[in-house]
Amino acid sequence: GELMELIRTEGRRMTAAQPSETTVGNMVRRVLKIIREEYGRLHGRSEESDQQESLHKLLTSGGLSEDFSTPYPLLRANVIEAINELLIELEGTTDNIAMQALEHIHSNEVIMTIGYSRTVEAFLKEAARKRKFQVIVAECAPFCQGHEMAVTLAKENIETTVMSDAAIFAVMSRVNKVIIGTKTILANGALIAVSGTHTLALAAKHHSTPLIVCAPMFKLSPQFPNEEDSFHKFVSPQEVLPFTEGEILAKINVHCPVFDYVPPELITLFISNIGGNAPSYIYRLLSELYHPDDYEL
Amino acid sequence: GGGAGAARGADPQEEPPPPLQAVLVADSFNRRFFPISKDRPRALLPMANVAMIDYTLEFLTATGVEETFVFCCWKSAEIKEHLQKSKWCRPTSPNTVRFVTSDLYRSLGDVLRDVDAKSLVRSDFILVTGDVVSNFNVSRALEEHKLRRKMEKNISVMTMIFKESSPGHHARCHEDDIIVAMDSATNRVLHYQRTQGLKRFHFPMSVFQNSIENVEVRHDLLDCHISICSPQVAELFTDNFDYQTRDDFVRGLLVNEEVLGNQIHMHVTTEQYGAHICNLLMYKAVCSDIIRRWVYPLTPEMNFTDDKNQSYTHSKHNIYRGVDVSLGHGSILEENVLIGQGTVIGSNCLITNSVIGQNCRIGDRVRLDGAFLWDRVRIADNVEICHSVICDEAEVKEKVKLKPRCVLSSQVVVGPDITLSEGTVISLHPPDEEEEDEDQFSDDSGVNKIESKVKLKGYNKKDVGSEGRGYLWKADDKNEEDEEEQRQSLWGPTLHSEEESESDSDLSLDSEEPDSRTASPQLDDIKVFQNEVLGTLQRGEEENISCDNLVLEINSLKYAYNIGLKEMMQVLSKVILEFPLQQMDANLDSQNYFSALLPLLKNWTPLFKNYIKRASDHLNALCAIEEFFLEHDSLCTSIAKVLMTFYQLEILEEDVILNWFSLRDTSDKGRQLRKNQRLQKFIQWLEEAEEESSDGD
Repeated sequence: GELMELIRTEGRRMTAAQPSETTVGNMVRRVLKIIREEYGRLHGRSEESDQQESLHKLLTSGGLSEDFSTPYPLLRANVIEAINELLIELEGTTDNIAMQALEHIHSNEVIMTIGYSRTVEAFLKEAARKRKFQVIVAECAPFCQGHEMAVTLAKENIETTVMSDAAIFAVMSRVNKVIIGTKTILANGALIAVSGTHTLALAAKHHSTPLIVCAPMFKLSPQFPNEEDSFHKFVSPQEVLPFTEGEILAKINVHCPVFDYVPPELITLFISNIGGNAPSYIYRLLSELYHPDDYEL
Repeated sequence: GGGAGAARGADPQEEPPPPLQAVLVADSFNRRFFPISKDRPRALLPMANVAMIDYTLEFLTATGVEETFVFCCWKSAEIKEHLQKSKWCRPTSPNTVRFVTSDLYRSLGDVLRDVDAKSLVRSDFILVTGDVVSNFNVSRALEEHKLRRKMEKNISVMTMIFKESSPGHHARCHEDDIIVAMDSATNRVLHYQRTQGLKRFHFPMSVFQNSIENVEVRHDLLDCHISICSPQVAELFTDNFDYQTRDDFVRGLLVNEEVLGNQIHMHVTTEQYGAHICNLLMYKAVCSDIIRRWVYPLTPEMNFTDDKNQSYTHSKHNIYRGVDVSLGHGSILEENVLIGQGTVIGSNCLITNSVIGQNCRIGDRVRLDGAFLWDRVRIADNVEICHSVICDEAEVKEKVKLKPRCVLSSQVVVGPDITLSEGTVISLHPPDEEEEDEDQFSDDSGVNKIESKVKLKGYNKKDVGSEGRGYLWKADDKNEEDEEEQRQSLWGPTLHSEEESESDSDLSLDSEEPDSRTASPQLDDIKVFQNEVLGTLQRGEEENISCDNLVLEINSLKYAYNIGLKEMMQVLSKVILEFPLQQMDANLDSQNYFSALLPLLKNWTPLFKNYIKRASDHLNALCAIEEFFLEHDSLCTSIAKVLMTFYQLEILEEDVILNWFSLRDTSDKGRQLRKNQRLQKFIQWLEEAEEESSDGD
């Protein structure tokens, strides 16, 4: 019990420091779940893993609060082992996702992406080994990370084109698939991704182009989007209108948002290290990873 | 004291690089922020509810400094206490903070001399004052600095950090404005000058003369007051007792460059933010920059001080709300507002561009625009506050209007139904206390003395209202030229672009200069130009300046006064011919005159040659000479000799002289001049010479 309290306090402090980095909170929750599981195993509960798997149990379980105070000497070793497993899993996520690339990308396809995502980069590189396709990268102003993405893809001899965000809709008719990475996946299946992704998603929906999101499971966060939009991160307006512009700056307001919200209806498929899923299935994945008591750190 | 050396796993061949150290001077050594800083030291004044020194320390820690020496003088106990409670004195802090306190410091120079005396710094260190807000990453500039020192064996002594920003920007402090001449290839500073509202600047010629190819003169720089200094800086301060501020140091170094061989370099950043708060206008500008996130990542909701009271949520339009804030019905937070924890705001208020501290109580129907309220301020209903600062625990009663640039210092009460005019400063400390307070840097430990004085005076009802408490400190004089250090207004000169043209400098030689610089130079201009040229030549003679320099000077004068070539030629000739007259008394006879003139002409031949190139130039020169001799009849006889000299020195050509001589339409006097015998002889000789040479060809 104490250990969990400690972790929870630290977790709260860390997430308060930078609310848009949800991964931190996610990991804290995973660890808490691991502790619960290991404790449960040692406590002698039956091996039927989580109670929430069955709908019946969901309704009837209620009120099962465990008292975590009984000490077990083995608990520590088990928890450490489980955490190590978690670490290995984390390191392998990108490769896992990349392995699924061949199923989704076919020859002579035109694929569109936005900004720079290491997951998508690995995905495309893996596919490029066996298939020939083209990629169009939207540059994602004002940070223009699309440029870096294009450079790395070109090194793998993938035919790459860079274009500005404004031309996304115009080019969409030629595109077969849209593959993007994201910053966070929310509990309802929505995305928090780099600014400009919503535009891309809307254009894809309009042209009925499938939108595939490649993201490892640690980005899945049990939070729901609320009006506070506390996930938002606004950065220095320096990128949009440089400081050297002088006098005009006192008279105007300049904002530079980093993230975009993409609603779940616009997404076709999530590819993660445990396989491909539809957005409507996300809530189930939540229960595998986190314990409901931990949703609110 | 000795610092904690970070032993990293370095190669056995190299020593591990010494930890980066910083010297933070938590005292500004001037009384700019009086009376506010009578209660609180300047370094602890809150900017967006966080003390200024916290920003500076965060900047230093973020950029990798591992040891900071904080030097305090005024109110050092408070600064020490604040820092010890903050996160930088916790054992987990990557930056160790050491305090050095003394009542004897009177200037930045003293601090650095102490640094040298105690041998506190072992290698390059960062020098900042306690009121610097920045998100600058020093590592690149530091690398460049170290590289320069390695390559040129410690010649470069200091690297100053500037931010590029155009002149109208609101974060450019008007008093702190500088003009810098630099060598663009090596970023070396060649000339450094405060503009002080002048419109005309003099650059010493030596700036442009060294074998430097690209000299840039820049006015678009903002001084961040962050410098990377080498240990030599401290030594230099010890050697030169009169260096008091960084400015002195820079100027001294540049002037003595040939002697000591030290150089100063600079680093200009365009993307990162850095500013130094020297007056209330800057305070306002930097505060609004922080709220508008220019200093990312030092934004309010980041809570970098790790203080539980300081967590804000950030919403649209840069509205930051602390914990437990309650907003009344109908109140609007328009944009760029920061509200501290526990504040209660009444109904139907309109708040924009303001910072409100913790635990404030604001009444109904209040309008705050550009207001900076510190902690525990109480504002009653129907109050209007524009662009003012209200310090801790002050109280503003009903129906008060504060015009722009008012300051209410702590615990002041301003009574109901009164309007405070622009620039009023009200404080609980009576103003004449300042005169008797000789030791300006001592802590206000003589509280009893002050209280007794307070009892003697009542509060002036006109100033502060019927229920008010406080004294009128000093109404703003709008006296921008006022150089008195102690009486400078809190806000500093305001940036009014129209007013700037009115404030002329007193430093230029001529006071009759017209304001309009139209295309045709007016008579005054020429006169002035003439004086200037005369001055130049005089100096040239006294100091034996080479002709190239003189040419440069005259050229620059020509451009400054917008003089055409023709006029310039005339003036030049006239001045030179008049020169001997100036040197000695006016009444000379021709012989002496000529003997005095001859060496001058010989010396300044290149000067002439530079300007007299085309035929029209020659003519101009001749006309000028003619004019001159017409004026000075007594010297008529020497006209021939003068012309002869000109001819022999190959300044003027025969054709032109002949041309001039045979000009039909001259005035009577001119004709008479030509009848001068000697002149005629000369012309004859010329003609013959010409024929001879043309024969010989």
